[in-house]
Amino acid sequence: MSQANPHLIASHKDILHFPKDGTPSLAPNDWQTWSGDRDEGGLPDLEHGAHKVLVPFSWWIKHHKEQDILTRAKNGQIGVWFAADDDILKHSDLIEEDKALWPIVAAHFPLFRDGRSFSTAALLRDRFAWDKEIRAIGDVLIDQLLQGARVGFDSFELRHDQNLDVALKQFDLYTVTTQNSWRGKRSLLKASSH
Amino acid sequence: MTMYKYDAIDQTLVNERVSQFRDQVARRLDGTLPEEEFRPLRLQNGLYHQRHAYMLRVAIPYGLLSSDQLRTLAKIATQYDRGYGHFTTRQNIQYNWVELEQTPDILADLAKVQMHAIQTSGNCIRNITSDAFAGVAGDEYVDPRPVCELLRQWSTLHPEFAHLPRKFKFAINGAKEDRTVLLCHDVGIELKKSPQGELVADIYAGGGMGRTPILGQLIKQALPWQLLPSYLTALLRVYNRFGRRDNLYKARIKILVKALGPEEFARQVEGEWAYIAKGDDNFTQAEWDRVAKHFTKPAYKNLSAISDEALNTQFASELDTNERIAFARWLERNVRAHQVPGYASVILSLKPHGTAAPGDATTEQMNAIADLADQYSFGELRVTHEQNLVLADVEQSELLNLWRAAKKQNLVIPNIGLLTDLIACPGGDFCSLANAKSLPIAKAIQERFDDLDYLYDLGNISLNISGCINSCGHHHVGNIGVLGVDKDGEEWYQITLGGDQGFNAAIGKVIGPSFYADEIPDVITNIINTYVAQRNADESFVEAYRRLGVTPFKEAAYLNAKKKSKTESASSEGAAS
Repeated sequence: MSQANPHLIASHKDILHFPKDGTPSLAPNDWQTWSGDRDEGGLPDLEHGAHKVLVPFSWWIKHHKEQDILTRAKNGQIGVWFAADDDILKHSDLIEEDKALWPIVAAHFPLFRDGRSFSTAALLRDRFAWDKEIRAIGDVLIDQLLQGARVGFDSFELRHDQNLDVALKQFDLYTVTTQNSWRGKRSLLKASSH
Repeated sequence: MTMYKYDAIDQTLVNERVSQFRDQVARRLDGTLPEEEFRPLRLQNGLYHQRHAYMLRVAIPYGLLSSDQLRTLAKIATQYDRGYGHFTTRQNIQYNWVELEQTPDILADLAKVQMHAIQTSGNCIRNITSDAFAGVAGDEYVDPRPVCELLRQWSTLHPEFAHLPRKFKFAINGAKEDRTVLLCHDVGIELKKSPQGELVADIYAGGGMGRTPILGQLIKQALPWQLLPSYLTALLRVYNRFGRRDNLYKARIKILVKALGPEEFARQVEGEWAYIAKGDDNFTQAEWDRVAKHFTKPAYKNLSAISDEALNTQFASELDTNERIAFARWLERNVRAHQVPGYASVILSLKPHGTAAPGDATTEQMNAIADLADQYSFGELRVTHEQNLVLADVEQSELLNLWRAAKKQNLVIPNIGLLTDLIACPGGDFCSLANAKSLPIAKAIQERFDDLDYLYDLGNISLNISGCINSCGHHHVGNIGVLGVDKDGEEWYQITLGGDQGFNAAIGKVIGPSFYADEIPDVITNIINTYVAQRNADESFVEAYRRLGVTPFKEAAYLNAKKKSKTESASSEGAAS
């Protein structure tokens, strides 16, 4: 269904959720990701009856002071997504000011082997102390899940052709790590703190 | 043995990596994972698809290898390949003829001897290289091995840096002389002791070879070793976010450092680091102790040092006239001073003249070398940047026995540092990236300069051959560099002169239009003749080149050059096709 609308970033209907200290599971997607095209000032009506929308961060910068946008945001209906080339540190004041409004943010993978959004997620967790959901969107494949989960993503909008059963099995491939991540310290420090 | 040994965490990690890769290969084979998407996954496990078959590159972290590990490498060469392996300039071994279906089994065999192929390719932090003489070199300030191992673990499967703009290579040195080509690495880590006796690191960034060879720039001084993870995270984060991804040839960190300038790059890294410098990413003393305890000195005997002269005299009665000369030369060229009196380090030459590719070792040789390591050097070996193997801890009084035993395997040719100790990539015979063959050129040069007396008289000369501008043969830093180029489907070779490694590292200069393959032995001969005719006493080739400039060498090189109808620009070709 979502593939058909050219104004949405195509993905699976189901979202893979993997909360910190939780277990991975699937749930229907209640957020539409607006690609940002057909920008006629306000939010376009993307899917009938669906109100929650992730907007491009670049669009948010331009429109965040508009009353109707603010109203919808305050109702918990707007999140932002960061493009791979968005310099989130350059906009740190704006992010700090507005982050309370967003129930969720996302970071986009234009191509599965473009790792910039790994650093975006890491910075959101470290620098902005973002503790709500960060969703991976775009060219999100099974073999990026482990890395994504460790840098700070806790939900994944996989590309529509990815097998979700295989995806769900990725997270218990490793029982040890040799560097810290958002999910926990390296195994050695864990072992010594017990 | 004085090597790092895996604990349960390390072993679990490599075992789990094998399982993960086995699953990825299965998905590739059943068609659910398309080749385009499998490619970066297999590369991150060292698996290339070459001209004829798959090639597997196995890591030999910072060049250290046990005899048992070498026996496993030998067994793999027989069981899964064609009975040989190729040691590379960056302390890896490559198998050229493996089957995709068998690679998970090879990796499982490697895991049993604490080896892997993790991050030996791909756009991630690659196998970390270091001084092949670490821990034994006479000119060492600091043993780099504990830091190498700590950073090996830190960089292994690092999630944030799994898909960098391009490959990322670390070299780590702790000696007065640099044997790691430190300045040609994305990051070079120079370890030293501070005036207070603390272990600190100077960080060089933005070096690299390839199409745009650049030497690294010093961006940080006296960084305490504990802070390496946070500082390197900051450095890599800046690169991951801002390194170019629009053009494969401009994606290395050297282009970013050059575009920003080293000062601005360093400032951005500092800016990022300020937020994380005090975090718990940093190494603890307990982590140091866990690793460093493995790099203690082996059980050296209390011996007296013996001079080369005394050794030659001592062994003279056991050698005939020809052997005496050969042994004395071997002692001079292939044996190195050691920190401990009565011991020496021996370089086994993998550069026979024309009979095998540089860096190749057969299964039989590998097994024999493993036995030599057990018998003469505490069961341990090292791999050098020049693609040779080192027995690091040999008793001087055993040198003759070792020489005799190694001679049986054709490993004692006394050419270390000489013209025929050349570096070469596998080139167009195997590699699908190559524009031209490297191995026939190496063979032709070795056959032309087969006279050991003459080679010995020429002294130190490095000759490095790359089959394409990716520069795996490190031609940019050879005193003489040979680069294969493709012109209209034909293989041509470009010559550079004046390159050097170590702290005098220099990028060689292209002398002019390129040559046909069959011209190369004459071209090299003419260049060498110019050196012989014009050198001052005790002046090495590269010193003479620096004094004389390129002109006399260039004139000599083109003396018999064939007339070419094609007009060409000598400096603009490469792997762009």
